[in-house]
Amino acid sequence: MTMDNTDNIKIRRFSAFRIVEHWGYMLAFVLLAITGLSQKFYYLDVSTWVILHSGGIDYVRLIHRYTGIIFSVATFMHIIVGIIGITLKKWTPSMLINKKDFSDVVHNIRYYLGVEDHQATCDRYSYRQKFEYWGVLIGAVIIIFSGVALWFPVFITQFLPGEVIPAAKVLHTNQAILIFIMIALLHIYNSIFSPEVFPLDTSIFTGHISRERMAREHPAELEKMEGKQ
Amino acid sequence: MRCPKIIIFIQLFIIVFMIIFIRQAMAEDIIFSDEGQRCLECHSKHGLIKKFENGESAEAFVDADKFKTSVHNSLNCSDCHTDFSADNHPQRRFRSKEQYKIKSSLVCRKCHPREENKAKSLHDKLLSEEYEGKPHPCTNCHSTHSITAVSKKTYKNEGQYCMKCHTQNLSMEFKDGKTQMLTTDVSLLLTSVHKSLNCSDCHFGFSNSQHPQRNFKSKRAFSIANSETCRRCHYDKYAKEMESIHYTVLSQGNLNAPVCTDCHGSHLILSSGKEKSYITQRCQKCHTEAYETYAKSVHGKALFDEHNQDVPICIDCHLAHNIKNPLTQDYREMIPDMCSNCHANKDIVSKYGLSTDVVKTYLSDFHGITLGFYIKQREEFNRPARLIAVCTDCHGTHNIISTRSMAPAVVKANLVKRCQQCHKDAAKNFPDAWLSHYTPTPDHASMIFIINLIYSIFTPIMVTGIILQILLHIWRYAVNR
Repeated sequence: MTMDNTDNIKIRRFSAFRIVEHWGYMLAFVLLAITGLSQKFYYLDVSTWVILHSGGIDYVRLIHRYTGIIFSVATFMHIIVGIIGITLKKWTPSMLINKKDFSDVVHNIRYYLGVEDHQATCDRYSYRQKFEYWGVLIGAVIIIFSGVALWFPVFITQFLPGEVIPAAKVLHTNQAILIFIMIALLHIYNSIFSPEVFPLDTSIFTGHISRERMAREHPAELEKMEGKQ
Repeated sequence: MRCPKIIIFIQLFIIVFMIIFIRQAMAEDIIFSDEGQRCLECHSKHGLIKKFENGESAEAFVDADKFKTSVHNSLNCSDCHTDFSADNHPQRRFRSKEQYKIKSSLVCRKCHPREENKAKSLHDKLLSEEYEGKPHPCTNCHSTHSITAVSKKTYKNEGQYCMKCHTQNLSMEFKDGKTQMLTTDVSLLLTSVHKSLNCSDCHFGFSNSQHPQRNFKSKRAFSIANSETCRRCHYDKYAKEMESIHYTVLSQGNLNAPVCTDCHGSHLILSSGKEKSYITQRCQKCHTEAYETYAKSVHGKALFDEHNQDVPICIDCHLAHNIKNPLTQDYREMIPDMCSNCHANKDIVSKYGLSTDVVKTYLSDFHGITLGFYIKQREEFNRPARLIAVCTDCHGTHNIISTRSMAPAVVKANLVKRCQQCHKDAAKNFPDAWLSHYTPTPDHASMIFIINLIYSIFTPIMVTGIILQILLHIWRYAVNR
């Protein structure tokens, strides 16, 4: 790694595992959103079109459930890999929320209002990315468990009261809307429409990020990396 | 010039042929009954001589062609020759030809009673001479087998003409040996909605001048054939009825399937709609079991005990004329619509403290949504649908009972059995998975209400936050540049 022309240097940010994981999540999410939203908003013409052209309501439910399995496997793998990595391989738990994130929020609000000159100096993940990450992860767990209850209502009510099923339904559907909004608004903005990355933040697909962006968006991490060398 | 000759020849041939054919067809118009044919085997031949004690004689010959033109051509021989039948041919003795005539003429009074005849001046005089020992046998003036119609002016209207005979003990015989009285009760006719119609309006083909002899296999065949006349006015109902299961069954050869007259009656046709229970009784005639189950249901009890006219009766669900097979998929899919006719109508059900949300809550839940798509899938792609629960699968059909009449625990226990018809392993608490048509409130299904409440607060806050973050981000970026 040469120190000259430092801004064009590509820094490795994501491993192949994370790239594949993101692809899996992305495809599963799109399928789940299409099949799920058309079931929730079944009375819309577009939902009717989607359902009838996917082979009928039974097939849409089937697609939704099997894609749900992929989504669940990806989520649990992510959690297990994360725990193993942190405990055995001594990964830095960079996703954990810490005190600095709260001060970063305050700092950035002041920055947006013109009080501060610079954005908060973020570590590997900014508070916005952490918010998105934990929002989606917690939501995913809620969705997975409530989804299982909806898939096997007869089995679940052998152990749990019957009211669990309609409760699971409102949890599943409300949480799905929440995740959908998070992804469709915040995530899509941050990685596509934000003027800093437009037309696309390619780092999760290539696994690389430019040093110039690192310096701007994750200065604390860059400092640590370069400090170690 | 040859061609025209041939054409003229062919035309002549056709005309002659048609004349012969029409004569033949007209001659066949009147068919004698089996009995008549049997009698005529002998009596249409010359040579049968009846001798009287005083040496006079008469030929027992009947001219079949003349009888065909007689006004009595629809009668059986035994209607006038009362002592005789196909199996019974008694030997009778008469003093003279005159005594035979007087005795024979007495039978005329069976249908043409003395009192009635006396009303006419001419007969009055002749009949009064009867008491003076000078009887005038009817046949002297009216002849015997060739009796022709008297002037039509005698009768003020067609009804009077027909009732002349049809208030008497007339009957007709069917091929299966059974008989049917052809006596008509005028008092019934006068209370019918059809009281202003003429006989021939329904009895098409019959009139003052026409009285075709018809032969039917059985009484049922006679009724079915007669009911065909209704469509001449009520074609809309007839067309609907052709789509019904009753018509299908009938056309498959089951003559017990009902026709118009079985439900509506024949001479006594009453206007419906005043009292619903009256209509249910029509169906009861054949569907006794369903009727009795219905009578015990919440709807039936209200109808029969309280004369409640809001409740559905047979025809509200099954329809009156285009009655469909209730076991088909098409019919199943229509059930929520049928129930919602009343149960989604505030004017009808709110009087009884019933919620109009029942249909909405069904249609927006798993079963209702699925049903909606199954219907669309069948319409669009003709794809067979699987069974999905509709109203009747939980509530029953004819045996619908009110949930208020039972303890909640009993309702729930009953409901489990219904659930288990599809969800075989459903546990005792499985019915709670369904909110019993309630929309969640703080009191009912509070857990669901709270979850919905939390999200309905949290989601808008988060959306606002995200949008604010994005806008601030863009704004600051623009300012920086």
